[in-house]
Amino acid sequence: MLWPLIKSAAALALAIALISIVLVALGVSPVAVFAALAEGAFGSWYAFTDTVVKATPLVFTGLAIAVAFSAALWNIGADGQLLVGAILSGAIGPFLGGWPRPIAITIVLVAGALGGAIWGGLAGWLRARRDVNEVISTIMLNFVAVQTLSWCVHGPLMEATRAYPASTPIAESAHLGFYFPPSRLNLGIAIGIILAIGCHLLLFRTSFGFELRAMGRNRRAAAFFGLPIASLTVRVMALSGALAGLAGSVQVASITHRLYEKLSPGWGYEAIAVALVARLNPIGIVAAAFLFGALDNGSQAMQRAVGVSPVLVQVIEGMVILILLAFDTPIWSRLGGRLGGAKGPAHAPALSPDA
Amino acid sequence: MLAARAITRRFGRTLALDGVDFEAHAGEIHALLGENGAGKTTLMNVIAGATRPNSGEVTLDGAALNAGSPQEALKAGIAAVHQSPMLFERMSWEENLALGGFGRRGRYDLRAVAAEAAALASQLGLKLPPPRAILEQRSVSERVRLELLRALSFEPLVLILDEPTSVLAPSELAGFLELLERLRAEGRIVVWITHKLAEARAAADRITVLRQGRVVARAISPETPERELAQLMLGELAPPDAAAIPKGGSGQSVLLLDNLLLIEDGRSIIDGLTLELSGGEITGLAGVDGNGQTELVELLARVRTPSGGSIRLSARTEAAEIAVIPQDRDHDGLVLDMTLWENLLLEPGLRERFTNGSWLDVAKARALGADVIARYKIRAASPDALAAELSGGNRQRLEVARAMSLKPKVIIAHNICRGLDLAATADVHRALVDFAAAGGAVLLISSDLDELLALCGRLFVISRGKIRETEPAERTPERLGLLMAGAWS
Repeated sequence: MLWPLIKSAAALALAIALISIVLVALGVSPVAVFAALAEGAFGSWYAFTDTVVKATPLVFTGLAIAVAFSAALWNIGADGQLLVGAILSGAIGPFLGGWPRPIAITIVLVAGALGGAIWGGLAGWLRARRDVNEVISTIMLNFVAVQTLSWCVHGPLMEATRAYPASTPIAESAHLGFYFPPSRLNLGIAIGIILAIGCHLLLFRTSFGFELRAMGRNRRAAAFFGLPIASLTVRVMALSGALAGLAGSVQVASITHRLYEKLSPGWGYEAIAVALVARLNPIGIVAAAFLFGALDNGSQAMQRAVGVSPVLVQVIEGMVILILLAFDTPIWSRLGGRLGGAKGPAHAPALSPDA
Repeated sequence: MLAARAITRRFGRTLALDGVDFEAHAGEIHALLGENGAGKTTLMNVIAGATRPNSGEVTLDGAALNAGSPQEALKAGIAAVHQSPMLFERMSWEENLALGGFGRRGRYDLRAVAAEAAALASQLGLKLPPPRAILEQRSVSERVRLELLRALSFEPLVLILDEPTSVLAPSELAGFLELLERLRAEGRIVVWITHKLAEARAAADRITVLRQGRVVARAISPETPERELAQLMLGELAPPDAAAIPKGGSGQSVLLLDNLLLIEDGRSIIDGLTLELSGGEITGLAGVDGNGQTELVELLARVRTPSGGSIRLSARTEAAEIAVIPQDRDHDGLVLDMTLWENLLLEPGLRERFTNGSWLDVAKARALGADVIARYKIRAASPDALAAELSGGNRQRLEVARAMSLKPKVIIAHNICRGLDLAATADVHRALVDFAAAGGAVLLISSDLDELLALCGRLFVISRGKIRETEPAERTPERLGLLMAGAWS
């Protein structure tokens, strides 16, 4: 488990080194840039907690991707599943006024998971029954989800004054409250970490997880030994969707408290990067999400302090992924063999989760 | 003359080739003999440009070849047929052959390709798949035949064949040997990689023996006695004795296939197959690949349902007591990117045994892995080693170990010794013999007649989905070859 983490860290270091060269060429001090970035992400208690808040949706969506990719189901639709989860949470939330807090919160979260599960499960069902490539169906379902959300906040779920394209706020009893206001730290990250541990156990310690991974690595052998490929496909996609749906529902319950358009800045897509950097390992995803959250959070401060566009952060993220993918299999495993570290077979796919 | 000089090639910490010198002359069939892992395939890859050696050089008629460039090697006239075909699985065979030397260069004309290929194939007595057939759905032997055709389409000066006969039917062997002789008469060089002593002795003009990456005998005569060759190949290890093979069964029926039918797209693939397996014997089923064996195995593994007839277990047998070892270990039998112990759990019966509710008992499964490593002499560092890290022989030992761990009453084994070296083959055979001797029933489906004749009590032949029991008088390779070719069906 350690070796892949070292690889990811090395890729990050290399990306930072390459960016530094560009920054020097632009006449900006890389030290100042990265110092500002770090300051913005960790410089104060408030900065730190906001990094955590920004990482939270990425934990959930990252887990969604890891579960699906481990089964070789390429779920590109975490964003859509997140939105559908949010819609269901946002729709049911306003009606929970009189309910006790734990029950109200549970209902909101279950609704979110259910919404995501339906959206993901639909793509899984299409794959299992009609052999529709899930990459295409999940991307298409993303568009449907975006438009559905837009219609909801302009139509049936629009707030009472009809002035803003936003939904009626959810009841206060369903809020995941802030622990240390003005910091927005809330229970969401704890749920995410618990789910990460749960996903780890599920993948590596249960027979469902075993079947899922066996299917992901050799569908033919899995079929030969009687694994229920079609039903696994639906269940895995539904589970993946549920995790993504929870991301939306936690966001609504803790931060926005209502629906509006552009609820997700693309967490479902960024999650693919998070999952790849974590090499599909659920525990690693928490770390990777935290890293991406920090980059995101620090980028604003970086712009203020040294005048570098926050887009730089996306460049770093992109480079980390490219470096990992480009150098992973051949070079790293050979290096690993020579250093006497983990022995990587030459053909091992870049996307194998390491237990 | 083809010459490889002082070739050394390392893979990580393994020295695959250690200063190998190899020479083959125009107009000869040169056998390259060695066990699995001796370095035969690596040497072939170096010669064909697929692998760059750490040191040493390859020359053809005195001109040095650019190491590590398959295109250069091909241009110089070196073509190779690989043991596991290098083809585009999702494309039709015509499209695959279009990449060869068929048709006009630079023109994409599948009809011309198909016509030329058909002409060459009929010359060689090889059967082509139906038009437009996608390779994925064809058998390994058909794919290897296609690769052979593709290699020949370049009219190579040097043709390297990696274990070609392991997938050829006995009926195709004669045509194949004729082809080699014609290539020889035309002054071409044939390098034939094999681990089968008899073949090398029968067909080659000279033999070079590799052992553990070194040449132990260079260009010796095929008259060399078999024992001596075996000793060269294996070193100290003597060839295994024929084990005590139980010939007569206990007569206690454990599994009955009754008038089994499988019809797909209107074609009958299994056609009224009736077969009774009883404990204490190895029943053989000989056949050329693609006559319904794979489907039969899938029926027995219960991943397909028969269109008619039934598979009946005797009163005291349970469904979970049938262990199936499929023929394609890398695709059907194992998940290469999973660990050894996880591969044991692929077998549903074992998974059930190591599952509590929905939790896997990882510690126990790992312990079984360690036990299996020791008991079946699997060369693996630990139960956590990936199946991909195991050699072919050890992968097969793992599959056999998995089947045995199930403590089954019946084992269905399909071409399980294909591509294995002598030591691994002997281990696998011994495991089957011991199992039968202890009262188990084995159905050994194979295209290797030596194996079937050596191990089986009763021997059946399958052709186009029908089976027929052989008389003792018919049990000679020649007669069986005819029967496998469908002389009766």
